[in-house]
Amino acid sequence: MATTRALLAIRSASPPCIIRIKASTFSSSLSFQRHGAIARCFSSDTNPSVLQPPDVSRLAETARISVTPAEIEECGPKIRQVIDWFGQLQQVDVNSVEPAIRAEMEGGNLREDAPETFENRESIRASIPSFDEVYLKVPKVLNKE
Amino acid sequence: MSTTLFRTIQPNHFTLLTNALLRTRRTSRHISVRCQTSTTTQQSSSQQQQPRTSAPKNHGSNKLDEILKDYEAVIGIETHVQLSTSTKAFCSCPNSYGSHPNTSICPVCMGLPGALPVLSSKVVDFGVRLGLALNCSLSLKSKFDRKQYFYPDLPKGYQISQFDVPIASGGYVDVDIPLEFGGGHRRFGITRVHMEEDAGKLLHSDAGDYSQVDLNRAGVPLLEIVSEPDIRSGVEAAEYGSEMQRIVRYLGVSNGNMQEGSLRCDVNISIRPIGQAEFGTKVEIKNLNAFSAMSRAIDYEITRQALLYNQGQADQIVTETRLWDEGAQKTVTMRKKEGLADYRYFPEPDLPEVILTQEYVDSIRASLPELPEAKRRRYEAMGLGIQDVLFLANDVSVAEYFDEVIGKGADVKSAANWLMSDIAAYLKNEELSISDVKLTPQELAELIAAIKDETISGKIGKQILFELLAKGGTVQGMIKEKDLVQITDPVEIEKMIMKVISESPKQLEQYRSGKTKLQGFFTGQVMKMSKGKANPALLNKILLEKLNAKD
Repeated sequence: MATTRALLAIRSASPPCIIRIKASTFSSSLSFQRHGAIARCFSSDTNPSVLQPPDVSRLAETARISVTPAEIEECGPKIRQVIDWFGQLQQVDVNSVEPAIRAEMEGGNLREDAPETFENRESIRASIPSFDEVYLKVPKVLNKE
Repeated sequence: MSTTLFRTIQPNHFTLLTNALLRTRRTSRHISVRCQTSTTTQQSSSQQQQPRTSAPKNHGSNKLDEILKDYEAVIGIETHVQLSTSTKAFCSCPNSYGSHPNTSICPVCMGLPGALPVLSSKVVDFGVRLGLALNCSLSLKSKFDRKQYFYPDLPKGYQISQFDVPIASGGYVDVDIPLEFGGGHRRFGITRVHMEEDAGKLLHSDAGDYSQVDLNRAGVPLLEIVSEPDIRSGVEAAEYGSEMQRIVRYLGVSNGNMQEGSLRCDVNISIRPIGQAEFGTKVEIKNLNAFSAMSRAIDYEITRQALLYNQGQADQIVTETRLWDEGAQKTVTMRKKEGLADYRYFPEPDLPEVILTQEYVDSIRASLPELPEAKRRRYEAMGLGIQDVLFLANDVSVAEYFDEVIGKGADVKSAANWLMSDIAAYLKNEELSISDVKLTPQELAELIAAIKDETISGKIGKQILFELLAKGGTVQGMIKEKDLVQITDPVEIEKMIMKVISESPKQLEQYRSGKTKLQGFFTGQVMKMSKGKANPALLNKILLEKLNAKD
């Protein structure tokens, strides 16, 4: 969610870097690059300037979005700006602060274990283009990567 | 919590998280990364086990025993348990196995835009239950995370799981190794238990370039149990798996059927030369449909890896996922992991914290049934042999039946014997479970008592057992109806013996001239005459007197 919001921020802020959603993602075999991850885990006393630059092509691969080399050039600095913006938080000394799991105070909002059939299942199935009688028809993918 | 937004890549729960993220962890772990291979090894200060004095025994494979003199297998198991709740984890769609495909769906589990997940209270309840049963510490505050990847059976493009703050962690399970594999107790550590949702079902058709998806299963609640790499052999792994099954059935959180897929085990295995502290390269094995398959797959994999080591080709062992081929009885490469998977975990923004109060946890702890381990120790303390103990405690319904029978005052050993032999045989033949039999625990206790006080003989007891199992009824009623009361009057028995002897002069002659085995003939005849009711001990005593008398 943070990433999409960031991308939206970039789009509205400056001349858009056009992002095309890849239509068919299944045939691409993914080779992860082990370097250049968006950021490594760090403790609160890391200098923000040590943050790794974003590997835009890898980001795009993981999100199944196709980008041209020109777009990669363009998007890199913009994504970097967003990261640096968040990176300001690194300057806060939280060594003596117990990590909070979430910002809000109340948990809960649990549901009873009582089954309910969704009324309009037919329209769900009807809205799936590749629905084939009983099953969803999908391209044959054997590997998860 | 800025650190949560920028997270290091973590492939699975075996390659553990850094200390900064895990302030709740009790044991400290160190992570060393080998750059050449894509393996992360871990040395845990709490895992500095003493070197084994004896290699784990195996059921017959000499080859394996040889290998285990030089190498130690380090095995960890990830178990996914499908919960037997009425609804899915995050929506109210019915959770029922075997429904017509794509009928248990709604916008939430289909991942349609705008739909929001709502956690079921039952899932939390089951999670706490299982965590407590596995002797874990519970996280009173835990959260959900998104595990992101693309696959046709994953509607949202992410799985809601728990990454760094699972609901339970740091537990253990005690098992008894079956006698035929050496016996003994073992304790295996449990790293964590966490809640997550299942994906749909993907069916590959052989023909064509397409597959088919059934999303009935998408969103079904799962509990994932990750063990410490404490397991050392296929036998231990099978017993660990069986105990997981026993526990979830005892608790009633799952039916634990491997065939149905409600209990799935994946094995992570590496070997290392004995004495080496560093772990070897880890291989994952999937597609195990039974505990026996798990055991055989591990034995095969140990052999395969050891062979490569012996040939100086240890570098041929790579981090990968292999499938167990039941037909060929070997593991085969599924895919080589090109780098570690990047799931881009981040906290699930659509779900609040899971907060447990100490009172809630305590009330669940108080309501836990007696677990298999406790039952086994109690049965042992009652004087039962380990073989009986393992049988009786294996199935919770059988154990409950047994407890009821001895609760009515029946002799422990007799009750165990009846259940393990005649009743077990009947259940197997008729393909029934103990809950189906018409013989009530009360009546079994009656039967045992009737034999004990010699109202009826043991043999008669066996005869009426069959009818009692099939049709029910009372022991006393049946004794009256069929006139089964044992004949214990010596005078009556003597009369019958004299009659038989007088009717069989030839056999008497033969007996008196040395063929003492013919005593059996006379016994048989008297039994026939008495319709099996003569007390065997008395019969033989008086018979011998008469046969050996000088006429």
